[in-house]
Amino acid sequence: MSVATGKKEVATKWLEEFELTTANRLGASNGAVKTKQEKAIKDFAEIGVPNKKLEDFKYTNVSLYLNDAYTTKAAATRLKSSDVRHLFIGGHVSIVMINGRFVKELSNLKNLPKEVTVKNLFTVLKESKEMEAMHFNGQLENKDNPLVMLNTALAYDGIYISIPAGFECKGPLHIVNISAGNSKSLYNPRNVIKVGEGASFTLIESYQSVELTEKVFTNSVTEITVEKDATMNDYILQDEDAMAYQNNVHQVTVGTAGKFNSVTVSLNGGMVRNDLNVAINGENCEIHMHGLFMAKDGQHIDNHTLVEHNVPNCYSNESYKGIISDGGTGVFNGKIFVNQDAQKTNAYQSNKNILLGDKATINTKPQLEIYADDVKCSHGTTTGMLDKDALFYLQTRGLNETLAKKILLGAFTQEISDNIIDDAFRKYIEGKIQSHIA
Amino acid sequence: MLEIKDLKVSVEGKQILKGLTLTVNKGEVHAIMGPNGAGKSTLASVIAGREDYEVESGSITFNGKDMLALSPDERAKEGMFLAFQYPIEIPGVTTINFLKTAVNEIRAYKGQEPMEAKEFLTRLKEKQKLVQIETNLTGRALNEGFSGGEKKRNEIFQMAMLDPQLAVLDETDSGLDIDALRIVAQGVNSLRSKKNAFLVITHYQRLLEYIVPDFVHVLYDGRIVKSGKKELALELESKGYDWIKKEFSEIPA
Repeated sequence: MSVATGKKEVATKWLEEFELTTANRLGASNGAVKTKQEKAIKDFAEIGVPNKKLEDFKYTNVSLYLNDAYTTKAAATRLKSSDVRHLFIGGHVSIVMINGRFVKELSNLKNLPKEVTVKNLFTVLKESKEMEAMHFNGQLENKDNPLVMLNTALAYDGIYISIPAGFECKGPLHIVNISAGNSKSLYNPRNVIKVGEGASFTLIESYQSVELTEKVFTNSVTEITVEKDATMNDYILQDEDAMAYQNNVHQVTVGTAGKFNSVTVSLNGGMVRNDLNVAINGENCEIHMHGLFMAKDGQHIDNHTLVEHNVPNCYSNESYKGIISDGGTGVFNGKIFVNQDAQKTNAYQSNKNILLGDKATINTKPQLEIYADDVKCSHGTTTGMLDKDALFYLQTRGLNETLAKKILLGAFTQEISDNIIDDAFRKYIEGKIQSHIA
Repeated sequence: MLEIKDLKVSVEGKQILKGLTLTVNKGEVHAIMGPNGAGKSTLASVIAGREDYEVESGSITFNGKDMLALSPDERAKEGMFLAFQYPIEIPGVTTINFLKTAVNEIRAYKGQEPMEAKEFLTRLKEKQKLVQIETNLTGRALNEGFSGGEKKRNEIFQMAMLDPQLAVLDETDSGLDIDALRIVAQGVNSLRSKKNAFLVITHYQRLLEYIVPDFVHVLYDGRIVKSGKKELALELESKGYDWIKKEFSEIPA
């Protein structure tokens, strides 16, 4: 077996899997989706599982993580309510997804507002035929991301959330994603979220492991539509076991005067690769994207972001921070794309990293692609060790070195976590960060 | 209280302090004056325990304890304080939270319970008044976006809160206008007592008009070359440092 063609061989396995799972995939619900899945597997076969020869995966060689004897069969799990309840936060509506499947019995939907729809995507596609299928993969087809293609091809189900026009959803909805089980598995969950015109909505996504005893690779795609005058907050916590690998794509489309705010906090997991793509398709939008990633020994965390300014008069601001310890690897690749028509764009990006040891690695690459002439855009990136002068200053006031470091790192991380408006989740995340720093 | 004996210190292989000896007793205010490059700030940093400096020989003891064996925070806990020439901006940490931590870390070292919230707030208000620092300043991130004068006042405010036995003021007068200088000096003067001592490091005599020292030492080329009473400061002011340089530049290293 030759190593050079490894990716295609890995791909072949998934082509076979595609044939075997026809009856269980999303395509079985809807003819239009079936066609899209068939196209996606062909596209995927052309490229294969990404390795570092692919520019977008240069620093995250996915073929290294997806080269084991995975299957897409759902692992049998016998998780009980008592096994998952500790992951619920602040009494929020909790939607439990185990290995990418909605488990209603374990969820807490008691306080779900009657206006809000929460369903299996499969059911929604089956019921509403062509209309919903139009949205399925609409913004993603031109992204040339083989892992999105693989997800589109093999997706079997996921969650569908819809907030009706004008509805202000008071409490957040929390999707409790759990990796569990004892078989090497690849999961391809597909989620669709719609925030209707003038509506507002806060989503929490947590990714954790419960009784996970074998490697899993979760290849998740979430399509979000924020319609005209709507606001959405998306808060993400990734805190998985070392045996859990994750590729997590969010494709967000924002309409006129829409607002989208995200906070992505990645603390643990064997491998985390995030793609957050925001397409600004209406004027007067406001986008805030914040991220914090902390990679320790053996961990690899990659954040790719793309902001597409397609129309004039919009604002986007992005700030990602990394703390990398010895043996950890962080990647940040942030791209701002300003279309020729997108005059009066204000787009800002910053990436700041702290390396805590000389065996810590960060690869950071900001990218601006600007085709309009009347815009304000900036980007900046800094990487360094913890500020020695600041450490000494705190020490001269009686704080020992460990405490001084903890305070400085705490302040560094707080600039990100402060953007989480939901008190319960912010406190939960700050607790996680604190114990991660200690 | 503080005894420095024949201290030799180098930075990146270059000797800066070349055998410095100094004794400071309780209740005394000592001024260290000297031209640029004499080693004034090095002395302040070494006393506080900055790690970039290599102590080649000599000793620093404080109340009989060997300070060179202690970390910067342990020295602070033993009762030493350094007011920085250039206070560091610490984003994300408010002065008030930071001081609460510092006060209680020092108390824990001495085997004391954390300070009651009410007592802490009373003390905070009292000491704020002392250096005329506004409440909104202590609620802000430590030194972040503070003016030069605010930073220096914040140093004296922290000193007042931590109540050290020995305070080293490193060029506290630099960059201060006359009003700010007066406020800072008043703060220091009101903290003077029979139990504590001050080491005031300065380039100019101006500060010493407000903080009147008991002793003045001239630091030149890594050594104290002249000591006297407060009048020595005036003599330096009128003559400049050139006569010191002429007189002592012939000393073999």
